[in-house]
Amino acid sequence: MASSLLHSPANLSPQVALRLSQQAPLLLRYPPSAISPYSIRSLWSAAETPELWATYENLMQSCLRTGDEQSAHLCLERLTERFGAGNERLMALRGLFQEATAEDDAALERVLGEYKKILAADSSNMPVSKRRIVLLQTLKKIPEAIAALNQLLDASPTDAESWSEMSDLYLSQGLYPQAIFALEEVLLITPNAWNMHARLGEVLYVAASSNDGSSEKHLSESMRRFCRSIELCDDYLRGFYGLKLTTDRLLSALTQNSKISKSESGLPQPDVKTVEKLNELATAKLTEIVRRSANQEPGWEGYEQPDIIAAQELLNRDTASITR
Amino acid sequence: MAQVPVQTIHRDPQLFYWILIPITVVMILTGVLRHYATVLMAAAPKKQELPAIREQRSLLRGINLRMNANAISAPSFQARKDYLVTAYEGGHFLKDPEKKGQAAPNPMTDPAAMEGMMGMMKGNMAMMVPQTLIMGWINAFFSGFVIIRLPFPLTIKFKSMLQAGVGTKDMDPQWMSSISWYVLCIFGLQSVFNYLLGSDNAASQMAQQMGQMGPGAGAQMFGPGVDPYKQFQGEAENLAVLAHQYTLEGVEDRLLKTVKV
Repeated sequence: MASSLLHSPANLSPQVALRLSQQAPLLLRYPPSAISPYSIRSLWSAAETPELWATYENLMQSCLRTGDEQSAHLCLERLTERFGAGNERLMALRGLFQEATAEDDAALERVLGEYKKILAADSSNMPVSKRRIVLLQTLKKIPEAIAALNQLLDASPTDAESWSEMSDLYLSQGLYPQAIFALEEVLLITPNAWNMHARLGEVLYVAASSNDGSSEKHLSESMRRFCRSIELCDDYLRGFYGLKLTTDRLLSALTQNSKISKSESGLPQPDVKTVEKLNELATAKLTEIVRRSANQEPGWEGYEQPDIIAAQELLNRDTASITR
Repeated sequence: MAQVPVQTIHRDPQLFYWILIPITVVMILTGVLRHYATVLMAAAPKKQELPAIREQRSLLRGINLRMNANAISAPSFQARKDYLVTAYEGGHFLKDPEKKGQAAPNPMTDPAAMEGMMGMMKGNMAMMVPQTLIMGWINAFFSGFVIIRLPFPLTIKFKSMLQAGVGTKDMDPQWMSSISWYVLCIFGLQSVFNYLLGSDNAASQMAQQMGQMGPGAGAQMFGPGVDPYKQFQGEAENLAVLAHQYTLEGVEDRLLKTVKV
């Protein structure tokens, strides 16, 4: 399917990536007319389109993922022939290729040195500085990666991608307030992204599970984030899943100590009745989604299989505790 | 009612092959040539330095915060607001912080702005020069011919438009002179160029004239002659007076009301 080659292959499942990369020999058989020497054929061959080069870029990434380094190299060569070696995006792609084909850490260190050289010559090269940050992560130099990412975000604070990467990095280090801050920045750029709301809810939930000092504040905030994500996207499985988790925890916390404390967000704690109702709603909705998706009802097929299984497992946990 | 007799003029059929078709072909070829000349002359957009990027995006961050403040909680908003307002007023994000008190530079002396104007000049020249040449060429070789008869009747007002270069008083306005055909080609070949060169071609002058009338609004914001420090101060003021309201307030009740199982 050519259409999926037009999208960035970052989130493809392994099967799809493999299928895409297997088309490589067919797609790469003829060099595109824009870079091939002039021939009479170019008169009636199709004009050059941006989609063609997007396909090359995505095909290259899929090929690297599945180990077809020859095709990836061919893609890279043709892209270089068309756009020149000085193109910022191509510099990053070439670095990606070198990273993927590097055999040991020493080779990766060499690539890192090259990135440093490029950035010393031109500090505003965003694609390469992003690659450098990712490479630092690969080499397990997390503090350095965080410092570099901070520098990037200081120069470009409206980059949602970098902020969410930052939040992931902080989360991996257990720095929850910083991770939450970074996710809030993402929300300031894309206020209606329901997946980001759900993500912030998840991070808040994790933060609430880890430290016991302010867990209830984080929990109610987390619950409200999940509510917002469902409000923005009907039948959002991830949102309902989070809503059920948080309300379960909140119910047990609220019944234990009923003192009403002002939460960190400045909003009062939700009262027990509302939380109970929300819990019921989430359970009912999850059950409905699991049932309908299992029956393959029209309009309900879009859910990922692992998500459905996880939801089923969460529901089973509930019934197990009731029967016990 | 007496019918007005239809005027008939016996034309040499060779007029068709030696005037109408050459003018049309030449017009199309010049359009194609102009397109490729514009493409070749267009300079690559100038790369911005890191401090300039930082200045623009920091301002955008403040605007984002003001527009989407509802997405984050009141303490988070307060912290960001305090930070940004202080930084804006102190001029921390400026490209060159020393120049914050000075007046905006004259756009004529700014080399970056001059380059933009040069680009516009080049585009204009690419239009004007061939236009003048072809007009002269047509005047020299083809003036004074009546070449075709339009298949529909027209009122007398069209006479000056369609019969330029032919000074006959009583000729029906349906008859068309070669210069008028040229003028018609200038405005009428747009769709031919769209077909030949794609829809964003540089061949037609109509698009260029449109572009001159209303330059993009986005360019104005960071364009030459705008003092970034003033912009920062304005944005700091906007942020400082913003009344914050949190979207998550009462979201659980809203949700319970709307979502039914």
